[in-house]
Amino acid sequence: MLLCAVAVQVVAAEDDVLAPPHALYPAPKFTLRWINPGETGGLAADGSYDNNQGQLGVLNAAGAVTATGHPFFAPLGTNGRACVSCHQPQDAMSLSLDSIRRQWQVTQGQDPIFAAVDGANCPHLPQQDPASHSLLLDRGLFRVFLPWPPRDAAGKAIEPEFGIEVVRDPTGCNLHAQYGLHSAQPMVSVYRRPRPAANLKYPTHQNFGVSSFIGKNGLPTARDPQTGKPTSMNLMADARPPSLRAQAADAAATHLQRIAPLSKAQLDAIVAFEGQVYVAQQIDRHAGSLIEANGPTAFGPRALLKGEAGVLGNNTSRWVFPMEGKWTTLPRGASAAQDARNAGRESIARGHDVFMFRTFWIRDSMHLNSVGLGNPTKRTCATCHGMHMTGMDTANGWMDIGSTNLPWAREAPLNPWTTQKPELPLFKLTCRNDIAPHPFLGRVIYTQDPGRALISGRCNDIGTIVMQQLRGLSARAPYFSNGSAHSLRDVVDFYDRRYNIGYSEQEKQDLANFLGAL
Amino acid sequence: MSLQRSITLSLACVSGGAVAAMPDSVQRNFVACPIVRDTASVPCWLAEYEGELYFLTLQTDVSAPVNPPMLGHKVLVEGRRTDKPRICGGIVLEPVRLSVLPALDANCNQLLPAEAQYNLTFEPPRPPGPSKGRLAFNTLDVQQAEVAPQRVEKHFSIGYDFEGRVGFKHPALLQPVLDYALAIKATSINIEGHRGAALLSDGTILNESPKLAQQRAQQVAELLQGAGLIGPRYTVRWIDAAPAPNGSDDSAQRRVDITIKP
Repeated sequence: MLLCAVAVQVVAAEDDVLAPPHALYPAPKFTLRWINPGETGGLAADGSYDNNQGQLGVLNAAGAVTATGHPFFAPLGTNGRACVSCHQPQDAMSLSLDSIRRQWQVTQGQDPIFAAVDGANCPHLPQQDPASHSLLLDRGLFRVFLPWPPRDAAGKAIEPEFGIEVVRDPTGCNLHAQYGLHSAQPMVSVYRRPRPAANLKYPTHQNFGVSSFIGKNGLPTARDPQTGKPTSMNLMADARPPSLRAQAADAAATHLQRIAPLSKAQLDAIVAFEGQVYVAQQIDRHAGSLIEANGPTAFGPRALLKGEAGVLGNNTSRWVFPMEGKWTTLPRGASAAQDARNAGRESIARGHDVFMFRTFWIRDSMHLNSVGLGNPTKRTCATCHGMHMTGMDTANGWMDIGSTNLPWAREAPLNPWTTQKPELPLFKLTCRNDIAPHPFLGRVIYTQDPGRALISGRCNDIGTIVMQQLRGLSARAPYFSNGSAHSLRDVVDFYDRRYNIGYSEQEKQDLANFLGAL
Repeated sequence: MSLQRSITLSLACVSGGAVAAMPDSVQRNFVACPIVRDTASVPCWLAEYEGELYFLTLQTDVSAPVNPPMLGHKVLVEGRRTDKPRICGGIVLEPVRLSVLPALDANCNQLLPAEAQYNLTFEPPRPPGPSKGRLAFNTLDVQQAEVAPQRVEKHFSIGYDFEGRVGFKHPALLQPVLDYALAIKATSINIEGHRGAALLSDGTILNESPKLAQQRAQQVAELLQGAGLIGPRYTVRWIDAAPAPNGSDDSAQRRVDITIKP
C-alpha cells in the first residue's frame, strides 16, 4: 500500500533504555515518533500518533508527503534545525514538553531544538547544562527576542506609549550586555510556546472580521505584503507576521539562523504543506473513537478539512464545535467496557455544554470587556472562543486574560519556606501620561510578557496574547503562551480562579475532557 | 503625500466646573458610577442620579447601538427620561449616550444579584450564551461601497464618546470613507477635528481635553493612510475651541468631519 511505503522514518525509543539526566524531567509514558531534520521518508496521508489522552490524527489533505528534500523537513539554517524541529506531527504540529524532554535525553542536549539562540534561556549560558535550558525543559518555552523600541512593517521605530524596565531577570538575558534591553541593539526577550503549524486555513482566513481596520481598536489592519489584502492578524502570540510566508521567512532567519533568504520555491513548498495539514484528536482514552460514523461532527482532522474557515459559530446550523446534541445520554449495561466508553462520551458532551452555556462574569480583560460588551459581561467560554471549528477569535484575537499580566499570571510563591524560584522575567511598564491609562490596569503594569504591545507599542495591548486554536490539545501540553498550565485541568483551574467562576468538580472534569477530545 | 496642518484660533473655552443654562426638564446628563444588576438572563446597567435610579442599557453584543459601560470607571450619561415601563427598576433613558470616562475609579464596583422583581419582562436582543445565529443589531455591518459611485464631493462625520479617540466602533465608520475615496480615486481629503463639552443636569460643564480635536483629526488621517489611502492630498485642521454646550445634543460636537474630493 502506497501510504505504508512512504510511512515516515522516525526515531523510536523505548522509555526504559534512557536514564533521565535530571530528576525533574520524567520520561513520557509512551513511545514517541520524532522526526529529525533532513530525515528521508515521508508522512502518510492519514497519520495517527498516540498520546497520553488517546490518539491524534494528522491528515495531509493533499496526500502523502515526501519529506526527503522538502524544505519544511530540511535543515535550512546554520543550527541544524528544520521547521519540523518545533512542529512535529506527533505533537499536533507543535512541540510538547514530553517530546522536548525526550530529545534532551536521547541526544544529551545535542538536538538542534536546544540551540543557544532561543533553545537556551540566553545564548551566553553554558549550553551543556540543563539549567541553561530550564524554560524549555520545564515549560516548553523558546526565547523570542524582539527589538526595542518596536518597529513597524517598514522597519521604522515606533514611539511606544509606555516605558519598560526589567524588574526580574532570572535568565540573565534582558539585562545582558549583548542581548539585553540596554545593549547596543536593544532587545526584549520573552519566552513562548511554539504554535501548531496545522489547520491554518482558520487563522489565515479572509472572512468574517477581516477588514481594513482592526475591529477592536480601529487601527489599520496589517496587510499581506504579497497580496496587499488585510489579514486576520491571528498568527503567532503577538500577530507580528502578516502571512505564513512572512512567518516562514522570519522563522528561517531567527529560529533556524539561516543567513540567506529562503527562495520562492522553498517558501511556496512550506506554505503549501502547512496549508493542507490538519490535526485533531481522534481517539479518546475514555470515550474511544471520536470519529465514528453518526458521531458528532466536531472531532477528528477531517472535520477541520471540511469546516468553513473564518466564520463565527452561529449555534444553530454551525456550532463552534458541532456536537449535534449527540452523546448526551447513552445506554448502559451492554458491557463494562461500553459503559465506560459511554460515560466518557457523556462527559465530553457535558463539557461541550459547559463551554457553550455555562455563564460567568468576564471582567477586566482587555479587548474583550473594552469592545462593547461591558465590564463585566456575563457570558460563556464560547463568547471569546467563537470561531467555528477552532475556538479562536475570528480576527485580531489578542486579549489579556491575565496569563502573563500580574496580578493573575502564575508566579512562584515567595516565602521563607520554599526553594521555588521565579522562572520568567518580570517587566514594569509605565504608560505615558499623555495617553489614557489602561482601562483595567492603570498606568503601571507588571507583566511576564508584554505580548502584542512589543509589536504595537500600545499601552492597551500590554499582556495581550493572540488566542490559540483549541485543536490537538492533548498532543501538545503545556498550555498558554508561557507554558504556565501543565495540563488541561490546569487551564480550567486558571479560568476558574481568574474569573471566580465557581465550577463544580464535575464541570471541571467535563470541560477538561471536552477540550482534550478536540 | 503631505499633511497640511493648521491651527485655528482658540475661541473662548468654557471652563470645567462653570455653571451655565440648565438642560431641559427631561434631559438627564450626569456622571456616576454604573451599577450592574444581574437578572435571570442578561444583566442590566443602571446608574443613580439625585436619588433616582436610571436604566442605561442591557448587555447585548458589540453590534448594539448603545454599549454597556465599565465597572471601575465613572460613566457620563447623556439621555432623555421617558415614561416607558421601568427596566430592572430603573427609569428608561432614551435615547441615551454613554461615555466611559478614562480615569480608573475603584469606587465604581457595584454588582447586584438577580432578584425576581427585576427580571426582564421581555426577551433580550441577545442571550448571555449562544446567540442563535444572529447579532442583536446590525448597525455595525460595514456597508458595501457603491459599485461605481459618482465622482462627487462627499462628506462623512465620525462621532466619539466623551474624551474618546478611535475605538472598536470606528471601523464601521471609517470603512465607508476608505471605500469611497478609493472608489472615486480621491485627489483630496479634508479632515477637521472637533472637541466638545457636556452640560450636565446640575449646570456643570465638562470640557473635553485640550488638543483632543487635533489628536482626533491627526489620528483619522494616520488611520486612512495606514489603511492604504496614500494617494490623495490631506488637509488636516482642527477647531480647538469647544462650542458652548446646550445639554441636549452636546455629543454632536465630538466628531471629525471628513470631506472626500474627486
